[in-house]
Amino acid sequence: MFGYILKKIRYFSLKNKNEYMLQNTKPGKNNSEPISPYLEKNLEVIKGILRDCSDLTIHEFNFGRDRRFKGALIFINSMVDKEGIHKNILQPLMYDALLLQDNVDMDFTKIDTIRKNFISITDNLKVTLLSDLLDNLLAGASILLINGSKEALAIKSGKRESRSIEEPGTEAVVRGPREGFVENVKVNIALIRRKIKDTDLCVEKFVIGEKSKTDVYIVYIKNVANPKLVEEIRRRLKRIKTDAILESGYIEQFIEDSPYSIFPTISNSEKPDKVAAKILEGRAAILVDGTPFVLVVPMVFVESFQSVEDYYARPYLASIMRVIRFLSYIISTLGPAIYVALTVFHQELIPTQLLISIAEGRERVPFPAILEAFLMIFTFDILREAGVRLPKAVGQTVGIVGALVLGQASVEAGLISPIMVIVVSTTAIASFAVPAQTDSGTILRYIYLALAGIAGGFGIIMGLLATLLHLASLRSFGIPYLWPIVPLDFTGLKDVFIRMPLWTMSKRPKAIVWENYDSYNQSPGLMPSPYKKDKSDSK
Amino acid sequence: MEKKMNFSIMKFFLCFFLLLTLSGCISAREINDLEIVIGMGVDKDENPGKILLTAQLVKEDTAGGASGDGSGGGDSKAYWNVSSSGKSIFDAVRQITHKTGNRLFISHNQAVIFGNDIAAEGLQEYIDYFLRAHEMRPTALILVAEEKASDILNIKPEAEEFPAFNIAKLVNSYVFTSHFYKVNMKDFASCLMGATTAQLAPLVSIIQDEDGKDIYVSGMAVFKNGKMVGKLHHDEVRGLLWVLGKVKSGVIIVSSPDEQGKAVLEIVKAKSKVTPEIEDGNIVMHIKIKEESSLSEQTTTENLADNKAFEKIQEASAEVIRQEIMAAFDISKEFNADIFGFSEMLHKKYSKEWKTIKDNWDVIYPTIELDIDIETKIIKTDLLKKPVMPSEEEN
Amino acid sequence: MSIEKGRISSQQLLFLIAGFVQGSVLLIDFTVGITEHQTWMVILAGLAVTAPVIFSYVALAKMFPGMNLVQINDMVYGRFLGKVLSIYYIFFFLMTLSFNIRDVGELYITFLMPDTPFIFLLIVFTATCAYAVTKGIEVLARVSHLFVVTGLLTIISTSTLLFDQMDFSNFLPFFELPFIRIFQGIHIVSIIPFGETVAFLMIMECLNKTERVVKNTFFGLLIGAVTLLIVAVRNTAVLGRTQTIWTAPSFQTIRLIDIGTVLTRMDFLIGIAQTILIFLKCSIFFYALVVALSQLFGLKSYLPLVLPIAGIEVIIAATVFQSPVDHAMITQNAGIIYSAPLIFVFPPLSLLIAKIRGLPKCERGKET
Repeated sequence: MFGYILKKIRYFSLKNKNEYMLQNTKPGKNNSEPISPYLEKNLEVIKGILRDCSDLTIHEFNFGRDRRFKGALIFINSMVDKEGIHKNILQPLMYDALLLQDNVDMDFTKIDTIRKNFISITDNLKVTLLSDLLDNLLAGASILLINGSKEALAIKSGKRESRSIEEPGTEAVVRGPREGFVENVKVNIALIRRKIKDTDLCVEKFVIGEKSKTDVYIVYIKNVANPKLVEEIRRRLKRIKTDAILESGYIEQFIEDSPYSIFPTISNSEKPDKVAAKILEGRAAILVDGTPFVLVVPMVFVESFQSVEDYYARPYLASIMRVIRFLSYIISTLGPAIYVALTVFHQELIPTQLLISIAEGRERVPFPAILEAFLMIFTFDILREAGVRLPKAVGQTVGIVGALVLGQASVEAGLISPIMVIVVSTTAIASFAVPAQTDSGTILRYIYLALAGIAGGFGIIMGLLATLLHLASLRSFGIPYLWPIVPLDFTGLKDVFIRMPLWTMSKRPKAIVWENYDSYNQSPGLMPSPYKKDKSDSK
Repeated sequence: MEKKMNFSIMKFFLCFFLLLTLSGCISAREINDLEIVIGMGVDKDENPGKILLTAQLVKEDTAGGASGDGSGGGDSKAYWNVSSSGKSIFDAVRQITHKTGNRLFISHNQAVIFGNDIAAEGLQEYIDYFLRAHEMRPTALILVAEEKASDILNIKPEAEEFPAFNIAKLVNSYVFTSHFYKVNMKDFASCLMGATTAQLAPLVSIIQDEDGKDIYVSGMAVFKNGKMVGKLHHDEVRGLLWVLGKVKSGVIIVSSPDEQGKAVLEIVKAKSKVTPEIEDGNIVMHIKIKEESSLSEQTTTENLADNKAFEKIQEASAEVIRQEIMAAFDISKEFNADIFGFSEMLHKKYSKEWKTIKDNWDVIYPTIELDIDIETKIIKTDLLKKPVMPSEEEN
Repeated sequence: MSIEKGRISSQQLLFLIAGFVQGSVLLIDFTVGITEHQTWMVILAGLAVTAPVIFSYVALAKMFPGMNLVQINDMVYGRFLGKVLSIYYIFFFLMTLSFNIRDVGELYITFLMPDTPFIFLLIVFTATCAYAVTKGIEVLARVSHLFVVTGLLTIISTSTLLFDQMDFSNFLPFFELPFIRIFQGIHIVSIIPFGETVAFLMIMECLNKTERVVKNTFFGLLIGAVTLLIVAVRNTAVLGRTQTIWTAPSFQTIRLIDIGTVLTRMDFLIGIAQTILIFLKCSIFFYALVVALSQLFGLKSYLPLVLPIAGIEVIIAATVFQSPVDHAMITQNAGIIYSAPLIFVFPPLSLLIAKIRGLPKCERGKET
């Protein structure tokens, strides 16, 4: 039966692929013809293609000596900075060119002449194909066409509204930089470059999306990141053929290793310092225009439990916090399951006094414990979802209504036992301690709860074993997902459950920097010591 | 690669399907449906050949009284005792369901109390269930009642909510006096499995006074081959524990050197070493005891806190210990029950000779000689270094 | 050529062997009934007896690199005899695996979940093993150290918690039992935890380097044996004479933990540890079984066999014995007889024949 279903699924996916191929080979889709030297003809073609675009402006003008040259400036008026165009393109061409002395007879049909002598905007490029012309036009450039020239000039005179750099909402820190990425990818690259001023920092550009033509950048350090990793990212990015990339999540879902897994194999961040740190470790960042969330590959599981602040604070508390985060994840996934397994199957493992008080609390509860737990977790997820979508002020009200009124009332009405409220609220709070694994944590909570309800502790152990095996078989861009725990790597363990002092971590992570894994990121033996006084210092 | 993926998805579906279909047959027990047993008593029934099992259950709606609402009555008990007779223990356990409506949940049983009559008849045939049942834990205490076990379970203690917890607490208090010691199911079974060793279990009795009835541990019952043969009093038990090295604490009273009053010592630490020896067919047990105590009370005005007085007191206390040991040994000879486990010690050291000794152990046991060597020490005098008395000038 | 594409390092082999031997912690209870308080010396003697044989497995694996047991049998004994011998081995794997699966079921049905249908436990457990096998030996080898460490930690921590209840005079007198019982005990121990490592002949083909295999195999065996030893010593010291009467002495020992009435009721510890250790052992056996079968049938991948074999295993495990008593009797008596030649006779014999015929050399030349 399952075989049949799978066959059907495969059949439909193949069918869709064929249809897609057919559709893409239809004529008229590609404008790969060259630009003609006749201005009139070009304008006609462009007008024809963009005939329904009311915000298209085509400004035709004559210029040069005796105004014998014809030109046209085409732009989408909603996307460009008009003042800049007047000042930097039209004025030099139309007026300043007149001031040239008679003996300087310039050939204005040569686009290079114009570009070198008149255009004071630096960001411009020559295009020869109509498709390139259109792409640039739609990306916000102004296109300068000259009669008699086979080339056009795309001048990036666009203006772009950009949010100012603010503290990101998701990864707040007590100590550490407050800046966060914005929607404008140029700004984001600048933010990373400000952290890593290195000649080896590479920024590779891709344009993905048939319709959205989104700019996607891979940022990495040449001699640190594994070249195979970068090559693999390029390969995976190139095979994306889709209409639009609206957020980095789109990219993530197209390039991840295990699309069926509930665990994310690509991490994301809004903080430039975090991304820079990961790039310095030998990872590669994928920046997507239009979103502040930057993807970083490869990702390992333990990264979810690391916070940038761990490295800014001194190691002791940071290490304790690490352990607390691991425990939180365990509590948040296993809490209700263990409670149900204990109270329904293994009551003999509960201390006697506790058992009596649990029994007391449950005396009037009409539901079986498993249903009670499901109801509570479900309600918690509803509350969370409701709170996230609502405006902040209303969201707080939801929290108060949910936590206080509903919880209190349902306990008093005898629908829920008070201990269950404690268990589920602890679970809920613990789940916020590891934001990177919220998805997997929530799903696992339901799975484990179901297993515990069906087979008690046995179910939980089997579930855990299956999860462990699944995690151990996952890879993120070739790196084992559970590294450095599985496979065991002692040097990697310095930064897992405890965070060793920075001066002990003088090598980059072995698994990630595979090529030159012995490369140091700092000189060893940096342990601070007051006795090593620098002699030149003394006076 | 793709095939592997599909395969695991298929398995996932299959597993889940199986889990769901099978989940119906698993009987889970909701916690509020449990009849939590915290104590059990076994007595003989009026009908010959039957036993009467009493189980102490927690009443969940009134227990603790923390829930507050509803049950306000002060006299309502948090427990209820339910009994049923049966041809065997397990029979009775199942018969009780006629009264409770649910199976008993025995994992939290604190203590099993055997009635006097059952103990005299022999525990061998009754203890099996308490070891075999998967819900029974080997740490459950075993006790013998001086009268009927059900009466012991019926007495509501003043401070505790549950009689069974109270009994467990009482038994655990042996560390303060060493007048008895706790025996759990595993220990008792272990002793029962030795062919020659005697078994012991704390003995609980009821005392009646004006305020009502109270329970106390009056000593230990001595079993031979599972049958109760007699009783050890507090001091005799301590004599036994000296030899076993299990004395944790306790009080030794000796008369002060000037014979005017008493010196009261508290045992701080005690160690023992027993070496069996066979000399020309005679068995001698060399018992070496090291004891440390503190001077905790004195009823004389003489200053006991000096070395000379200490020496005398130490000697006197050693004598007390020796007498306690001898008392225990004498009474064990009377029952002809090897409560000390001398036979095991011989077995371990003289495994060859053991084969001949084993068969006529009952004859040999009374002929064993004890060679007791006691070393006592007073290590502190607590807060006072002199007794409370008028200063000497005024005298 | 080879069915498995995964590669394991010899360090991972160490943990696999250690976990495999540890997985038999529950099974030393078979021996306890026979050897009582002398179990600890039986374990040491068993290790001493079996170690040379196990090194012959390693030598065999080194002699035929990249080949599993079925291929070696074919090569050493010829097409027909080799196939017959391989079928014998497969039968051994099949039965041992189902016994082990049954052990888990019995553990849960007796101690933790007596109301659960037996077959349900078997199905869930076997399905999880099957899942592990589909992931391949590489994944299993990579996580094996977690299992070993968990097992060791549990056993050491429980031993520490029980230290005040231990009575070391329980080991006296040293030599009391008749020699025939000790011999029987050594026979059982040398086969059940140690000799079963013959299954690793199906796995050693995946080794990426064969340099330190001997050393790592030895340490793996040692870790496993030490674990068994700690368990045996703990049980004897705590339970004393009563250890022979319980169905599972280890479990009863843990139930005795009672420190200040707080650290008590730790049954789950041993439940988790034993489940995952037996899980590792069963997965290794399962893997050996399906790879051997698919090699025998000349399949390209063992994946199609996993599900049917899992079904067969469940059926065998559920029906082969009528009770734990039956189980213990047959394992103690019949089980160790039919598996003895597979463990003690054939691998050294193959080694000898291969040496005499100078086998792998010419074959290797032909292949490459």
